[in-house]
Amino acid sequence: MSTSTQQAVPEDHALFMEPSSKGRFSRYMRVRMANRLFKYYFLFSILALCFVLGLVIFFIGKTALLTFAHISFAEFFFSFNWTPEEDHFGAAGIIVNTLSLTALTLVMAVPIAVGLAVLIAEIAPKWIKNIMRPVLDLLVGIPSIVYGYLGLTVLIPFLRRLSGENLGDGLLAAALVLALMVLPTICRISDEAISMVPKKYREAAYALGSTRLQVMMRVVIPAAGRGIITAVIMGMTRAIGETMAVVMVIGNTAQLAKILFTPASVLTSNIVMQISNVEFDSTWNYALHMMAFLLLVISFILILFIRYLGRKGSEKA
Amino acid sequence: MKLFKKMSLLAAVSLVAVSALVGSASAASSLSGKITINGSTALLPLTLQAAKEFQKLNPKVKIAASGKGSVTGPQAVKKGIAEIGACDWDASMDVPGFKAFDGQVANKVAVIPFATIANKNVKVNNLTTEQLKGIYSGKITNWKDVGGDNADIVVITRAFGSGTRVNYQSKALAGGDIVKKEKNYKEVGSSGDMKTAVATTPNAIGYIDLVYVNSDVKAISYNGVAPTTDNVINGTYKIWAYGYYMTKGQPTGATKAFIEYVQSQKFQQGSLKKLKFIPVSAMH
Repeated sequence: MSTSTQQAVPEDHALFMEPSSKGRFSRYMRVRMANRLFKYYFLFSILALCFVLGLVIFFIGKTALLTFAHISFAEFFFSFNWTPEEDHFGAAGIIVNTLSLTALTLVMAVPIAVGLAVLIAEIAPKWIKNIMRPVLDLLVGIPSIVYGYLGLTVLIPFLRRLSGENLGDGLLAAALVLALMVLPTICRISDEAISMVPKKYREAAYALGSTRLQVMMRVVIPAAGRGIITAVIMGMTRAIGETMAVVMVIGNTAQLAKILFTPASVLTSNIVMQISNVEFDSTWNYALHMMAFLLLVISFILILFIRYLGRKGSEKA
Repeated sequence: MKLFKKMSLLAAVSLVAVSALVGSASAASSLSGKITINGSTALLPLTLQAAKEFQKLNPKVKIAASGKGSVTGPQAVKKGIAEIGACDWDASMDVPGFKAFDGQVANKVAVIPFATIANKNVKVNNLTTEQLKGIYSGKITNWKDVGGDNADIVVITRAFGSGTRVNYQSKALAGGDIVKKEKNYKEVGSSGDMKTAVATTPNAIGYIDLVYVNSDVKAISYNGVAPTTDNVINGTYKIWAYGYYMTKGQPTGATKAFIEYVQSQKFQQGSLKKLKFIPVSAMH
């Protein structure tokens, strides 16, 4: 802000007639100072962020690696038996559940979200846009526990009737709740990306005789590809890290989900269910930290992977 | 830069104000000190109420209470983070799943009754120890085997390590196991979730602190005795446990005074009863 007022000075210059060299000098100094201050401020912001991230990785990782002093690497990653009270720490089932839950969520949410985004950005009349966008923004802001509660009281009884199971809890219920949660996020970011596609692309496509569908599928969506991928990343990280909504509907039983209605457990829900009931210096506690660390690593890898894909895609386009 | 000046002025003023406040607080009353209480969420309402009353009498004592899980109580005491660790079992002795915390003293502060509950569509009114053991170990899976309708039993249980589960297993199941199943089995994280899950799942069975039981769920008698405070006091209903304040060695100073206040007749017969716990003295 201060820099913009400084820039107005040269015009005042002429009014005052007597530009003192001293004033000029101090102005110059002030601008320099402000610039340098901002430089340090930004540098500090970046460093602070990296520092916190580093601390998280360091401390979670440090405790997590203690796990392998007591149990083998292979047991943790390849055994499906998670019964900590009997010294079995096989997290494979829980890891697989996490991945399949995330995949299932995205499979349900992404097509609908992108379709909705195209509708809002391209097809719908203005008044619908003006309603849909704020509504979606509101949906993004709803706390996850609210979604979880709705899942527990509305979705689960419905699924129970539909499937004939006694308990409706499981991957399907969790994926439905998560899909509903990430849908507005994916939709809004995709919508923005699609709106950013230059008008001339569309005009050129129409000029070549494309139908509307062809313009959407062949030109607009590929051109907005990176933005849509960013949207999917955002949705995915929210899905993989979501805890409260999942805990309420997944059944919290540490076992591999063989069917969609098996009460199961994912990394986040397992950590939150058990962390308050374990002793600090126990393998159990370390194993839970290992799960948290794994969650971190999984989201890092997924984000890097999709970034890489996005870059490749945009190079081609 | 003007903004900067204003900010620093504001900071200076607030600093002065805070130091003045701190200064004025350190005056009056004999007993002083800081008590940190950690542990059981079941005992938290009682702890908070007692802390409020105790601080009114002793303004120089600062009490910080929080709840996380029973086992965190004695652990925090062991690590020196907290003076008092609230725990739903006697942590100075071994219980299923947890070793004794050496050198800690268990101070009884309340009696907590637990109840077996079922969804309201369940016709069964009474279960014996053997029947409950069968249900939780997975040997009995249909309500018709215990005198109810022909329907699968849906077992809802607390996660391993929950104080409620430790007590329920040792009292109601006489040490019996709770076995994980692929179907009709679900774990929940808190008493509130337990109540919601049992109330909304047909054919469900669960267990909970008696204070949570209301008309949303059906309370089931144990060996023919209904779960009521009166039956706990007259000794016929067996599923109950003491709530403990764990301390490192015998408590001293402010901590000792606080525990004595909680154990006093005035608090036990007054606020504690209002919170639907049972006074320790009622169990003799």
